[in-house]
Amino acid sequence: MGHSRVHLWFIGPAVILMMGLLIFPVFVAAFLSFTDYNLGNPSFNWIGVENYDRLVTRSTYKKMFTASLTYVLLVVPISVALGLGAALLISSLRIGGELYKAVFFLPVMATLLAMAIVWEFALHPIVGVVNDILRSGCDVGLLHALLSGSWLGGDPLQSWYGHACAEDFPLWLGDKDYALGTIAFIGIWQGFGFNMVLYLAGLTSVPRELYQAAHMDGADSAWERFRLVTWPMLGPTNVFVVTISSIRSFQVFDTVEALTRGGPAKSTYVMVYAMFEKGVKQNLLGIGSAITIVFLGFVLILTLIQVYFVNRRVHYA
Amino acid sequence: MAGISLRQVTKTYGTLRVLNGIDLDIADGEYLTLVGPSGCGKSTTLRIIAGLETQTTGDVEIDGRVVNEVRPSRRDLAMVFQSYALYPHLTVRQNLVTPLQLRDMNFWQRIPLLGHLAPGRRAKMSKIEDDMRKAAEILKIEPLLHRKPGQLSGGQRQRVALGRAMVRNPAAFLMDEPLSNLDAALRVHMRAELSELHRELGATFVYVTHDQAEALTMSDRMAVMMDGDILQLGPPDEVYEDPRDIRVAEFIGSPKMNILPGQGDSAGRITALGVAVEEALAEPSEGPLSVGFRPEHLHIQPKDAGACFSGRLTYKENLGSDVFLHLAVEGIEGKAVIRAKPHEADFADVGEDVWFTGEVGKARVFGADGKRVTLAEPQLMRMTS
Repeated sequence: MGHSRVHLWFIGPAVILMMGLLIFPVFVAAFLSFTDYNLGNPSFNWIGVENYDRLVTRSTYKKMFTASLTYVLLVVPISVALGLGAALLISSLRIGGELYKAVFFLPVMATLLAMAIVWEFALHPIVGVVNDILRSGCDVGLLHALLSGSWLGGDPLQSWYGHACAEDFPLWLGDKDYALGTIAFIGIWQGFGFNMVLYLAGLTSVPRELYQAAHMDGADSAWERFRLVTWPMLGPTNVFVVTISSIRSFQVFDTVEALTRGGPAKSTYVMVYAMFEKGVKQNLLGIGSAITIVFLGFVLILTLIQVYFVNRRVHYA
Repeated sequence: MAGISLRQVTKTYGTLRVLNGIDLDIADGEYLTLVGPSGCGKSTTLRIIAGLETQTTGDVEIDGRVVNEVRPSRRDLAMVFQSYALYPHLTVRQNLVTPLQLRDMNFWQRIPLLGHLAPGRRAKMSKIEDDMRKAAEILKIEPLLHRKPGQLSGGQRQRVALGRAMVRNPAAFLMDEPLSNLDAALRVHMRAELSELHRELGATFVYVTHDQAEALTMSDRMAVMMDGDILQLGPPDEVYEDPRDIRVAEFIGSPKMNILPGQGDSAGRITALGVAVEEALAEPSEGPLSVGFRPEHLHIQPKDAGACFSGRLTYKENLGSDVFLHLAVEGIEGKAVIRAKPHEADFADVGEDVWFTGEVGKARVFGADGKRVTLAEPQLMRMTS
């Protein structure tokens, strides 16, 4: 190698940019999270772990963690399962697959903020199309009997549908029992097309001869072949899809900002929205930074889990 | 153990016809090779036998039973794939027991963990374990049982693929170019081993290859396929000695047969490249012919002794025991190749013109349609000439 320093000139710019744009801000955030700095204040005090203490003791932040984790636990399994199911169905089609791909992928490409406005109208308690449709079913005797369970002899008022017909249908985004579920539904609707595309790519990499071998070996049902070939061969795709979906769900922000602003009663107060509210709207950079650092911790853990699986269990070649 | 028969099997993909009515009878315990260039339909034929593809028309019979509607797994056949198609996430042991578990155990017994509670599982599992051990022993892969396919060499994967085919003790083995992913030395070794395995198991083997050497060395009978037809079916030496079609003659044998453009006349005399050949047509007729000589049936001559062909020596390929002489001969495309002993070709140097003759009785003559032309018996020939 000699004494050449040329290599420094090659890697230098990239290292400097990475330090300046990625690593340095993290350290700044970590530093600020131990202070009570507010944007605009001339100085700040060193307050140690007080911000973190607040995160674990105050009920607002307990609600924040509950909302974020519930959202992730709802969206990830459902959007992964739907993505895989849609990919399997589409890949088994001879014609029309392209159309389905485009339709399911549409929400991924659409601007979520614009879509959120559409959802807001659709979910409007009085003029929204969702409740309109639900309400119209109440007058159709057969449908009402079916959905409320009264055809089985149950009391219609005991069922969700029968009760809602009698009282009214929920304020999807305005009721603290429904808001997070509704936001999660939109997240699933928006995200599963992306998972589907990843799974479709994963499916094309499964060698056809493996399926033929499975046929010869006696895996007669589609389920047997799925268990013997498809599922194990999708291992690397699974790890990637689950990690990406988890990180994306942790990052949910735009639907919350557009539809509920964290409410009602903090039921949709997810982490990134809390960061935004504390750090940007209220200028409380100290607590905002603390939330950011905890958030980074979650993402880091997810990434480490992914790296572990990629290196260990699912690497075949 | 069982014989396999194909009756007028055709296959078309859209408008493309890949099999034009294949008739084939494979005897019980036979080692039959389907050989041909790529795209000739040999793999399709094999996959139709396996049931992985459905023929457009015609019947497939296994052991006298028509199996057109029978699933691949119920045909009691095993297949070895070119890529081996081992399950990469399972160990060698698991790969070997999978076909047995799928055949012998019911749905409940196969559920992971919970399956251990299903009644009768233990007895079946120990039987399966025995069968697996037996196959592993024959193929000498016992030390590999706990490895995954990714940790095996090509030859070891090949053995495991054979093992997975063997464990079920199937009626017949179908092999789709199983050796083509191996390196040359291992391929030659595995040829011998496969033949030995065939003898040991006594099962029917249907073997697909594009390598004429594999077909010649391993099989009891070989079927040469081209363009969706079986051109010739017979024991390897018969196909080599007595090709019925010019395409078979050129495909089988390496280096390939030398084809010299020739002419027949109404007296039955034959000339090739304008030189009289010491053979005669059984049914004399005028017209163009192709006269084929295998490289070992051409002999280099030190001088023009009459009735000699001539050409320019462009390359001497020395194999030690033999030497291949490549000649540029006017009137034929490519090169003529002569197989000679090293001392026979001492005098010839590259760049020189040399003379050569065809061995009497070894010419294979084909008509303009590519079909073999019958030659007169040698006595008759002398009378006419």
